Amino acid sequence: MNQLLTNIKTIPKAAWPFIAFILLFFLGGLLRPELITIESLLGTAAFAIILAVASYGQTVAIIQGGIDLSVANTIAFTALAFLTMTRTVGFFPALIVTLLLGSLIGFINGFIITKLSLTPIVTTIAMNGFLFGLILLLFKSSELATVPVELEVITTARISLLGVSFPAALLVGLIIMALLQAMISYSGFGRQLIVTGTSAEVARYSGIAVDRTKTLGWALTGFLNAVAAVIIVGFYSQASPTMGAAYLLGSVAAVVVGGASIFGGSGSFVATVGGALVLGQVATLVSVANLGSNIQQLIYGLIVLGVVAAYGRNKKG
Amino acid sequence: MAKEQQTTGGASASPVSLRLEVKNLSKSYGSVHAVKDVSFDALPGEVVALVGENGAGKSTVSKILAGAAQRGTGQIFVQGEEFNPGSVGDSRKVGVSCAFQELSLIPGLTVGENLELVDKSPIGIFSQSKASSASARTLEKFEVDHISPDSAVSSLSLADRQIVEIVRAFIGSPNILILDEASSALTPPGVGWLFARIREFTATGGTVIYVSHRMSELEEIADRVIVMRDGTHVGEFRKGDWGRDQLVSLMAGREASSQFPETTELRKISEPILKVKNLRSDRISGIDLEVFPGEIVGIGGLAGNGQSELLSALFGARHAKADEWTLDGRKINKMNPRLAVELGLGFVPEDRKLQGLALSLGVGENLIFPWQKIFGLGGKPVINNQKTWLGDVINALSVKTRGASEPAGALSGGNQQKLVFGRWIDRNRKLLLLHDPTRGVDVGAKQDLYASILRLSDAGIAVVWLSTEVEEIVNVCHRALVMYNGEIVSSLRGEQLTADGVVGAAMGGN
Amino acid sequence: METIKTGLFSAVTRLRAEGATAPVLAFLVFFSLYVVVNPEILTRFQLQNAANLVVPLAFAAIAQMIVVIVGGIDISIGAIMSLCNVSFALMMINLSPAIAIPATLLIGVAAGLFNGLLVAYLRLPAIAVTLASFFIIGALTRELMDRPGGGISFEFFLATSGELLPFVPVSFFWLSLFAVALWFVLQKTRFGRHVYAVGSNPEGLEAAGVHSRATIVMAFMLSGLTVSIGAIMLAGSTLTGDPRSGDAYLLNSIAAVALAGVSFAGGRGSILGAILAAFTLGLIGNFLYFAGINASWQYIIAALILLSVVAIPAIVERVRKAYRESK
Repeated sequence: MNQLLTNIKTIPKAAWPFIAFILLFFLGGLLRPELITIESLLGTAAFAIILAVASYGQTVAIIQGGIDLSVANTIAFTALAFLTMTRTVGFFPALIVTLLLGSLIGFINGFIITKLSLTPIVTTIAMNGFLFGLILLLFKSSELATVPVELEVITTARISLLGVSFPAALLVGLIIMALLQAMISYSGFGRQLIVTGTSAEVARYSGIAVDRTKTLGWALTGFLNAVAAVIIVGFYSQASPTMGAAYLLGSVAAVVVGGASIFGGSGSFVATVGGALVLGQVATLVSVANLGSNIQQLIYGLIVLGVVAAYGRNKKG
Repeated sequence: MAKEQQTTGGASASPVSLRLEVKNLSKSYGSVHAVKDVSFDALPGEVVALVGENGAGKSTVSKILAGAAQRGTGQIFVQGEEFNPGSVGDSRKVGVSCAFQELSLIPGLTVGENLELVDKSPIGIFSQSKASSASARTLEKFEVDHISPDSAVSSLSLADRQIVEIVRAFIGSPNILILDEASSALTPPGVGWLFARIREFTATGGTVIYVSHRMSELEEIADRVIVMRDGTHVGEFRKGDWGRDQLVSLMAGREASSQFPETTELRKISEPILKVKNLRSDRISGIDLEVFPGEIVGIGGLAGNGQSELLSALFGARHAKADEWTLDGRKINKMNPRLAVELGLGFVPEDRKLQGLALSLGVGENLIFPWQKIFGLGGKPVINNQKTWLGDVINALSVKTRGASEPAGALSGGNQQKLVFGRWIDRNRKLLLLHDPTRGVDVGAKQDLYASILRLSDAGIAVVWLSTEVEEIVNVCHRALVMYNGEIVSSLRGEQLTADGVVGAAMGGN
Repeated sequence: METIKTGLFSAVTRLRAEGATAPVLAFLVFFSLYVVVNPEILTRFQLQNAANLVVPLAFAAIAQMIVVIVGGIDISIGAIMSLCNVSFALMMINLSPAIAIPATLLIGVAAGLFNGLLVAYLRLPAIAVTLASFFIIGALTRELMDRPGGGISFEFFLATSGELLPFVPVSFFWLSLFAVALWFVLQKTRFGRHVYAVGSNPEGLEAAGVHSRATIVMAFMLSGLTVSIGAIMLAGSTLTGDPRSGDAYLLNSIAAVALAGVSFAGGRGSILGAILAAFTLGLIGNFLYFAGINASWQYIIAALILLSVVAIPAIVERVRKAYRESK
């Protein structure tokens, strides 16, 4: 028994959400055996990867010790901007400008947080409201529905690999995850982000340029939110002013369920994908068992509680 | 039962019966044995001193008695009753009260509020004016006449805060009063006040556990002295039966004279590596400073007089301006930590756990924080030479660690301190700024650190060493600057660099 | 006369200490502009409407402030608002207010108890706990009622949202009553002092022999109670229960708390500041309508007001520091 427990302790933290996902998947199989198919697993995965992609920016924000409450309207704003621009300047220029816009939004957040010393919560709430006002003022039609062909090709296409077909968006999401994970684990900037999130004081006394690191981190968050916006637009073929609402707390949930510490200094993009998978599989199970979306929300809440109780104990106070 | 005896201030029915009995007390934090099988007792009216180096375990014992920490194994008896408090409140109910080393006042409230909230249930009206007058009476009773009950605690000096902390411990007429380094921030008149209160208290039968490492105080106030080292009880003496050298060597585990290494003569170099004129910030002013290569300059003074602000300002971790600021020949307008590191500075902060190390990250990674290039590679030990660099540091400082991947939090205090220090050796540093680098570190680790500092000095690296241990400044530094009220009031070297000289200047004298 | 003067003086000093100068000034400036643009606000009808609009937010802001003072943040505040709102509306279908009101207050307190126990005794971070309860309480709310409805009567509307006296909306009356009672609890009882203390130094409170954990739980319960009153006021003024009624109050309550100058590190906060901040934020949309400006600007203006009010002290501090150092 002790041997089992010691072995369990060596499993990397980021693996747990995936283990939970697999367990939930087979739990679904107990209810409906016909659901144990690769197609259904990949279907849930594709749905979940959208939430994951929308949570990458949040992951960066939480790792560096903050939280992004402007993700909802950053996604909506950049998505609407993107669709508006593609009609005039074409896909690639629109894409570049959109990503720059997202980065700018993030940079402004970071600037306010570091130079004016405002807390991330207040800053991003203000930015969220500000962007919502901009959306209502700038974008005439409440829903834009012409998605550029180039994007659709990527996001709604299906890839066939080893006889299995899955949405290309899943692959795109996983590739981005891998790149970001490599960044956070093996690049100087990523490590500096982690140290800054663990303790800004330790970072400062080690000569790390804390303000610069944080501001770049926030710009990256904004950039990733813009990336998510483009992918979501492509996947759902539409955009609206409230399209980002579910991702505000949903992204925090995915990051937290992935096991990241809400205080910063730990977290991984792999784990965020895992967290999103767990939440996605719960949604699938709930709909299969016909339990209703309220039960789904209830379970989300219990899972967040469970994960935080397991990992997130407050050492002080 | 203890309650009945409490009302008279503590005199028990049979004067010979023990007020406090500690039997085989042990406590571990993870793999670190803070207290190992410690036993002692105390009588009513006695002042029992617990002495030892930083990290000897005396604070842990006092925290356990105060109810702020859970005991590991062992037994404690107060007035013959088993004592195992779950909280500070539980301890206080039984008559055991403590003035903590880490001051535990609530900074956002006034002195009066802090004093009047003690031991009272939440249900009840709180009147500012009543609290003010009641606490004024309390302060008067303890002969504190310079602190107003309406002052916010955050506005008080460190010394005054310590006085309030002590007064608070006296509230409720405890039987056993634990004073954990209670004189650390007090001025000599303040220490006199404290001793007068202690004598009043013991005259009525109260017992005092006095935790300290200051010899002169022990000679004056302690009836019995218990020496701790590395968590164990290594000696016990009655008043008059012990000598300073004897205690010091027992505390250190070796001959007192060999506690500090031999310092070498300073080779005179004409150009200072650091020169500041009129350095000033919100806590320091008029600082003129020159540090020469290879020089070890000590910064002394009572805690809270601007020393740590000075050190942080020199590193750029705090804003400061100066009329003239030259580092290695280069003019400085504004300093920040990144620039400081680029220009050859290094910094060992005061609190290794909160300011020095990211405890959850690996030993190797912690080591290279200052050297991690933003566009370089990092993370796993194999990627960027962490193992080699760690190997060098392990050799230089005898750091005990399982390897580069071990989380820094798993190391013992002494090894953690060596790790923070090791960040800067062999990295072409020109000037190291050290803030109490040997605090809370065992004797062996201290020796290793002293030796390393001397090696650096020999190699031409300048050291600015802020220390609250007068002995360190006197024995290892070439020169000492003593600060008072944010200014340098005294510069001592050679014959003048004595403990009395430093302490005298720290009081504001010249 | 002397006592009134000293009373006023110490009140002002205390407001300044709690950081409330900003929201008081902001509100005075804002309201002056408002009266200029729309003098009709001072008519009975408009006063009543405006009051009904902002009073629920004031309750939500106060509730959020209590949690922030003890060092946390409450992400579930909107969900608790919706739950109480919906429960009350449902109960009012068949039960009298004499039962429905206390029962609703109890629900708010219970939600606070749930959050508080997890934060204080399991030592989980408040932001994470309340994130979870956001989902759980939200689910519960929508189970009870999935679309607006309920049995609020017009008599009840008058009781919560009508007029007490000419030019004195009843909702102001209830808000003031509550605010004074809460002020008394926070400033004049030991428990209230504990609440402020636990936010700034929980160890310090323990060292004084006080159970800081119980204080935290009580604070969360008090916050839940506050939200439930706001929910009842909201139900009364809209004559419905709506499962989505509380949604906007999450971000708006946090914005109001920030505008009130409350420190998110804990230990500080003024009730008056929270109320005036809520009034300011709540009336911006209204203000723009009367000024003939596109209502969509309200979000931008609210964000700018929030940023500038919160940033100004930081900038002032910087300028002051630079000035001191240059001497």
